[in-house]
Amino acid sequence: MFNLLQNEWMKIFKRPGTFVMMGILLVTIVLMGGIIKYENQDVKANPDWQQEIQTIVAEQKQSLAQMENAAQGQRKYLEKSIAINEYRLDHNLAPNGEYAIWSFVQDASSLIQLAGLFTIIVAAGIVASEFNWGTIKLLLIRPTSRAKILLAKYTTVISFSLLMLTLLFVFSSLVGWIAFGMPDKATPYLNYFDGKVTEESMIFHLIKFYGLNSISMIMLSTMAFMISAVFRNSSLAIGLSIFLMFTGAQFTNLIAMKFEWAKYILFANTDLMQYFEGMPLVEGMTLSFSVLMLVAYFVLFHSLAFFVFKKRDVAA
Amino acid sequence: MTGIVQLQNVTKTIKGKTIIDSLSFEVKKGEVFGFLGPNGAGKTTTIRMMVGLIGMTSGDIKIGGHSIQSNFEQAVRQVGAIVENPEMYKFLTGYENLIHFARLSNQVNKEKIDEVVKLVNLSDRIHDKVKNYSLGMRQRLGVAQALLHEPEVLILDEPTNGLDPAGIREMRDHLKKLTREKGLAVIVSSHLLSEMEMMCDRIAILQKGKLVDVQTIQDFKTGVDQEIEFDVVPIEKALAIFQTMSILARRGETGITCSIKKVEIPSVVKRLTSENVEIFGIKEVTKSLEERFLEITEEREVSLHV
Repeated sequence: MFNLLQNEWMKIFKRPGTFVMMGILLVTIVLMGGIIKYENQDVKANPDWQQEIQTIVAEQKQSLAQMENAAQGQRKYLEKSIAINEYRLDHNLAPNGEYAIWSFVQDASSLIQLAGLFTIIVAAGIVASEFNWGTIKLLLIRPTSRAKILLAKYTTVISFSLLMLTLLFVFSSLVGWIAFGMPDKATPYLNYFDGKVTEESMIFHLIKFYGLNSISMIMLSTMAFMISAVFRNSSLAIGLSIFLMFTGAQFTNLIAMKFEWAKYILFANTDLMQYFEGMPLVEGMTLSFSVLMLVAYFVLFHSLAFFVFKKRDVAA
Repeated sequence: MTGIVQLQNVTKTIKGKTIIDSLSFEVKKGEVFGFLGPNGAGKTTTIRMMVGLIGMTSGDIKIGGHSIQSNFEQAVRQVGAIVENPEMYKFLTGYENLIHFARLSNQVNKEKIDEVVKLVNLSDRIHDKVKNYSLGMRQRLGVAQALLHEPEVLILDEPTNGLDPAGIREMRDHLKKLTREKGLAVIVSSHLLSEMEMMCDRIAILQKGKLVDVQTIQDFKTGVDQEIEFDVVPIEKALAIFQTMSILARRGETGITCSIKKVEIPSVVKRLTSENVEIFGIKEVTKSLEERFLEITEEREVSLHV
């Protein structure tokens, strides 16, 4: 098995495309750091922030009282905002304190999507390319079962996604540290959940954020991998997966407004953040429901991929 | 001794069409076994079944006694193969390609890789990227990857496809050497008869998914009749003389062709000259293997249709 993984890594890292992807990721982080640094130059912490927040809270309370009939989502959003702001007043925590390393890492975490994109590209190609190159014929006539080969390929996809995430985290920390420095005192992250506000250490929050965000990335890569193994077509796998990556959530939101079955759609469940901060997409969805759905999709994708790959006659 | 490769009533049906129809034969150690047949006869399909790339509808293929279906890993361990073109990872060097395939079969060490590289004469260019290789070099690299794990059986699908005459010759010498020295069983497929004639010990003729015949190359050749062609003038008169001598003759390309034995030639010549027929030449015409092959496959086709 170790040999197979070595092979897959060799095939990924002997191609220039991989380094281009990594380069793009790193350059984007640096650019982002540069732009934020440039724009942040004249923003000074407001000394009268308490007063400012008090007005905001008062306004929000007023509008909350006025919108008895408004959608659940909007009310919840206001409630969350009010709770956090009141917490700030009580504990004397300025909202936009100094912008430092962790704030940047938090901002740069939006690039997880980019890391996801690159992982999808790798996942989509890893089986289909062997068919395109014709090398599948030499690969499958070795004393190694097809299931093992497929497993090695999937493991490689997952470790590639971890590599991209680690790269993103480490490099954005580095850029954040160089550009913005360490904070004088650690600002905690304020988490609102179930009507209560709690303080969390920034690093803990970021790791949680990364972990939960990479779930959708892993599910989409798994889907791309499945399409790649079943249809032997990397363009289809890349195209469909990226299309769903960018539109899946919106479509699901639209459907969720009308129909309750939206909760069975993959994209309604990939964002587990909704259970820790904020509220679920469809009333009545729980964390365990989503985890169960994710496992179900995961198993479905893999059964399809393994079943078809094992049975397939390699004729091309 | 039983064959190292055994096909037992192998049948493959795709969407109701029978591609391969109960094929049975054996290949012995130390022989070059040819697979002959026109395009679409099922050569490649059979080879793909032998290496487990495609499944079979019924029957079984055993390699060294292990079934390719139920004991794939044991069976395929003894096989090295190139199926159609030797497609390699073009972005890797030749050496990296070999390392890649060596990792897939256990117990292949660096020395073995170097040995195989030397065997196929690629030592100078082995660290170049495969995309810069010529077709002949790719073929040789293909043979190298097939030999890495010291297989008992070497299966090559159209091994000389796209090679120049020198390359073909080189490939042929390699194969002969391997069978003589290492006792490998080599199975090659081709639609080029001249190729097969020079390379193979035995050939199986395949047509429309059915086995027409398995013959040694000598038997195959001796089935070929010899004909004598007379270049004479006037032809009409000569034909009449042949008729009186009760020899079956017909008008050929440049004269008269008939099937008579060599010893009969002088008497025919005497007769012709005595009748004032001018003889410009007499030559033996051997039917080429090609004609023989077409003959066999056509006979078969006729009998199939009747």
